[in-house]
Amino acid sequence: MSHQPIEGAPLLEIEDLAVTFYTPRGTVRAVRDASLTLHRGELVGLVGESGCGKSTLAFAVMGYLPGTAEVGGSLRFEGRDIARMSEPELRELRGNRIAMVYQDPATSLTPTMRVGAQIAEVLREHLGMSAEQARERTVELFESVRLADPGAVGMRFPHELSGGQQQRVVIAMALACDPDLLIMDEPTTGLDVTTEATILDLIADLKTRVNAGILYVSHNLGVIARVADRVVVMYAGQTIEEAAVRDLFKNPRHPYTAGLLSCVPKPLAESGAVTKLTAIPGSVYPAGEEGVDACLFADRCPSVRDACRSEAPPMAPTDVGSSSRCLFWADVRPEIWATGEEREETPAANGAEEVLTAKSLRRFYGKWKRKYIFFGPRVQPPVRAVSDVDFKVGRGRTLGIVGESGSGKTTLARAIVGLVPLTGGATVLHGEELERDVDDRTRGQQAAMRMVFQNPTASLNPRMPVRHAILRSLKKFTGLNSRERRERAVELMEAVGLSAVYLDRRPDELSGGQQQRVALAGAFAGNADVIVADEAVSALDVSVQAQVLNLLKEHQREKGASYIFISHDLGVVRYVSDEILVLYAGHVAECGPADDVLAAPSHPYTEALLSAAPVPDPDAEPTRIRLEGAVPTLREAFKGCCFAGRCPRKIGPICDDTPPPARVGPSSPEHLIYCHIPVDELAEMQRSGVGLR
Amino acid sequence: MAATVVVRDPWTDLLRRVARALALPAQRIASALRLVLRTPSGRIGLPILLMHLILATVGPWLAPYSATEFQEPLAEYQLQPPSWQFWMGTDQFGRDILSRVMSGATSLIAVSVSGAALGIALGTAIGMSSGYRGGRIDEFVMRVMDGLMSFPSLLLALLVMSMLANRPAPLEILQSNWQNILIVVTIGVVTLPRVARVIRSVTLSLKTLEFVQSARLRGERAPYIIFREILPNTLPVLGVEASVRLSYAILTISSLGFLGLGVQPPSPDWGLMLAQSRQFLGSAPWVALGPAAAIASLVVGVNLVADGVKQASGLPREKAAT
Amino acid sequence: MLRFLIARLSMIGVTLLVVSGVIFVVTEILPGDVAQMMLKQEATEERLAALRAELGLDRPAHVRYLDWIGGVVRGDFGDSYVQKQPISEILPRRIGHSLVLALFALALGVPVAVAAGVWAGVRPDTLWDRVVSTVGLVGISLPEFVTGVLLMLVLASTLHWLPPSSHIISGSTPLTRPEILVMPALTLTGVLFAYIMRMTRANVMEVMQTPYVRTAVLKGLPMRQVILRHVLPNAMLPTITIIATNFGWMLGGLIIVENVFSYPGLGQLLLRSIQTRDVPLLEALSLLIAATYALSNLLADLAYTALNPRIRYA
Repeated sequence: MSHQPIEGAPLLEIEDLAVTFYTPRGTVRAVRDASLTLHRGELVGLVGESGCGKSTLAFAVMGYLPGTAEVGGSLRFEGRDIARMSEPELRELRGNRIAMVYQDPATSLTPTMRVGAQIAEVLREHLGMSAEQARERTVELFESVRLADPGAVGMRFPHELSGGQQQRVVIAMALACDPDLLIMDEPTTGLDVTTEATILDLIADLKTRVNAGILYVSHNLGVIARVADRVVVMYAGQTIEEAAVRDLFKNPRHPYTAGLLSCVPKPLAESGAVTKLTAIPGSVYPAGEEGVDACLFADRCPSVRDACRSEAPPMAPTDVGSSSRCLFWADVRPEIWATGEEREETPAANGAEEVLTAKSLRRFYGKWKRKYIFFGPRVQPPVRAVSDVDFKVGRGRTLGIVGESGSGKTTLARAIVGLVPLTGGATVLHGEELERDVDDRTRGQQAAMRMVFQNPTASLNPRMPVRHAILRSLKKFTGLNSRERRERAVELMEAVGLSAVYLDRRPDELSGGQQQRVALAGAFAGNADVIVADEAVSALDVSVQAQVLNLLKEHQREKGASYIFISHDLGVVRYVSDEILVLYAGHVAECGPADDVLAAPSHPYTEALLSAAPVPDPDAEPTRIRLEGAVPTLREAFKGCCFAGRCPRKIGPICDDTPPPARVGPSSPEHLIYCHIPVDELAEMQRSGVGLR
Repeated sequence: MAATVVVRDPWTDLLRRVARALALPAQRIASALRLVLRTPSGRIGLPILLMHLILATVGPWLAPYSATEFQEPLAEYQLQPPSWQFWMGTDQFGRDILSRVMSGATSLIAVSVSGAALGIALGTAIGMSSGYRGGRIDEFVMRVMDGLMSFPSLLLALLVMSMLANRPAPLEILQSNWQNILIVVTIGVVTLPRVARVIRSVTLSLKTLEFVQSARLRGERAPYIIFREILPNTLPVLGVEASVRLSYAILTISSLGFLGLGVQPPSPDWGLMLAQSRQFLGSAPWVALGPAAAIASLVVGVNLVADGVKQASGLPREKAAT
Repeated sequence: MLRFLIARLSMIGVTLLVVSGVIFVVTEILPGDVAQMMLKQEATEERLAALRAELGLDRPAHVRYLDWIGGVVRGDFGDSYVQKQPISEILPRRIGHSLVLALFALALGVPVAVAAGVWAGVRPDTLWDRVVSTVGLVGISLPEFVTGVLLMLVLASTLHWLPPSSHIISGSTPLTRPEILVMPALTLTGVLFAYIMRMTRANVMEVMQTPYVRTAVLKGLPMRQVILRHVLPNAMLPTITIIATNFGWMLGGLIIVENVFSYPGLGQLLLRSIQTRDVPLLEALSLLIAATYALSNLLADLAYTALNPRIRYA
């Protein structure tokens, strides 16, 4: 067996790769036609929406595809074809020359094994190290991925580590044998933004330290902009554009890339005006379909021409040195998608009639636990998921709620709509105090407040046709007879951009975006005054996300509904919200008009969130504020500021001992910051960047 | 101009309504069966099961000889090996074993199906409502279920049959079928907690799903949510449970028969036939083979169908049974 | 851990109380006279009255129950009606016999079942997997008495390799003639083997699909190491629970198997107590079996807890 690389061959060269799965449920063409080249020392970003084949491509490089897969084209590592390697040859490469970092670190580590041992076995297998050598090297590896306490981490089990720590362990494992090729498959997806930022820092740093080529797979353009040197865009199993990172973001030469870029809401409005989001109409060319002699993007392309439907475009070089699979790449510019029209602003806060008021909402989970079940001292108090949250929502306005996972956002949403009863406080709708349990509220109150959930697939009963949820809502909330309900359902479907034929489909016949639009139609059915949207677009691809966000805005403009919009994504929250409330460990950290909250001065937590959010702009300066760890689970009433433990601007013991005062921001009396640092000092610090711990 | 008078016959109307009400479930069952038939296990198991069902309905009439009457003179007919006259041979009383096997399916299947059905129906109802309600009631109900389950099923069945079968039935009309009623109830009782536990856990995971929450938010009441939103989603699990529970019911009842406490005479009992065959194993092994084959094929058939249902429903294989 | 143990033990206590109540209700309180039933045809007025007095049936039900349960707690199960001696003296020998048989069956079946299950689970849909699955399916479908009678037919009646009956001459132990254990143990193992094998196979198949096994494979580890270090520990966790639970479940099988082969264990004693209508003995045996069942379930949970790092260190 020779492992000599062929002279002059690039590290990884993929040519005309096609991967087809033959399953009992039909043929899936996961990758149709993909080509890319990767050199040593280079980080190539592979970007695309879900189902575009990017992960399949990544696993194909590892030679890891199920037996039902048929691979066409070639996949050469140092000139040798991976698809034709024997199992022992592959084993020699895997973990040694080619290593991988996975999407979900929690499930990628063996739960019954200590993490140190999981790394040591790679070293022993490939480098023949002794147990002692492997242990020492493991500690070095933990140091190089900047895990705190590298000497002791190895003795832990995966579940004893946080998500960020787990991913560092996985990265350390991948680096164990100094691989030549590193494949990262969505390594930060599923982590909190703050954790994501620290992992991205590490990857950016690794890029300069290791002498490897890195293939970085992601759906997130912001992440790609942060780490990649070159970017390859995939659509429907084809690579459709390849460019240096700056060219791709500044001069996209494929309509799909241009569309994707304008779909992403930006967290900060430098220009002041927020432009309406572009939505790419339709959905991805289905993987079950056979390829055709046409551009696969033709049906969704705004500048489609006849030629696009009669010949399959090849990858061709463009004027900026990139290559594009578009026949008319020369005509691609951002304007083909949107006219850059400004988003219509909602009515001013002052005039708006108050619809919903939350008064010191509290929600605790569990009961006091006793040492011996029924008797003995009380040892464990309940978890304080939400503590004393106040807010107001005006008619036709949107309140955005942001925070990391574990900050209490979802509990707050569920408590407001009455799915989980409040432990204390009150929700007041149109001046009436609502019952804590939705079952006890009046029909009118139930109709007035609806909710849209994160997971569109679970939002519809899989055993019922799509019409079920909409018709039941109409039956409950309107006086219509059955024929009128049916007609109204058709109208509602059309209002969310779906044809009436979908009413009789089963939910699993719809795509995620379509399912979420059906859920919206159901929520709109009773002419609700308040719609609580809990991460309503988080599970959707960016192009579809824009469709849903625009629908929400449109509905609000027409009907004057108020929204409570919950998301971890600052960009999305910024796009829809008039007011923003930043939640940390169940406490309000900061609240006020959206622009004021997102501009300095802000609460150090808001500042950290803003700092962590990846920006889809390769020229953006990487920011410096990073949070370690996770949101704490509070069991006791907190004496001081609950953010003190992670705060980069902590000023002293006062933060731990005294509850932070509400300080009024400079530009609006509604803007409140719960922090010990006076507002003007905060503003000064954040402008100059001093005072970081 | 003659007005066309639509004669509305109340009976036709009723029939039509019944037909309409049954059309959808029938359609569902048919399509489920088709799915099961598509799996390898289902393809073998369903025909075996079907054969047993046919035997159970018409077996006693198809049987060439009487299953219960002794044939005289005993010396001539007793313990005859299989022949053209008696395909499976005869037993110690000169009875045709084939006829006895053919007649034995009826009460075994009737009793085990009713027992399993009773337990599944009650278990589903209890599991779903207890799981959906949650809280203290749920806690209490599940403790009771745990208590019921801490009896090995066979032991409970033995206790009930040995202690109660010989006593008079509490109601006169139950007396003629007392023993069978006891078995049905006992099987129901041992099936119930096991089904309840499985269905409860499915309900617990379903009730956190957004479509159930949505239903609550639009003001649906608990019974509607349980029956219209949750129940249809438990059907795959229920299908698997039903077939697995049926196979256990058959095993338990035929074991009772073997121990001499089975379905009530005069219908022949495969378990009892096998028990009695032990005396002649050396000289007349065929006495054992007939009933052994009958029981084995019936349970194998049910288990194959259970396997097929599992595969067809897309649930993880072999996860449901305990 | 302590919390857990206290919770589980108190639950078992409650369960056994309920169980004893059920046994008592079924045997003594439900309509029909125990004395009448016990005596059947021999029932004359005097004998009935004598028996009622002997069993204490003339006292109110709750007094009888408390008396019985009080005795049980002190280890006194009362006297056998038929054998006319204290039940606590009859039991130990029988318990020993059953235990020997059960352990023998477990030792015979479990290792092979686990090995076969793992072997099939890592190679789903191969010929070997099909064979194993089919054997498993037939195994769980054959009731113990069918397997037992068939074994007897082949090994004893036809081949004459083993004695057809497994009775034990008084004064000896099962280990003096271990060959009598073979057929009962094989029968008992049959169902156990099939069941454990099917579960092992299913668990292994499930673990093989997890991302962490994929990680292990993509580390370039040899398959043997992937299976031994990454698949097995995780697949065995639920399997261990099943094995322990099965020990309790085997008790049901014991009743049948001991009677098929006339092996003098608890199961045979139970059936005899039913046939001779020895109500006090029947009550004692039922409670004993239920208690063993509950304890083996606890054992299963403890084993699971001890082996799962996620619970151990939580």
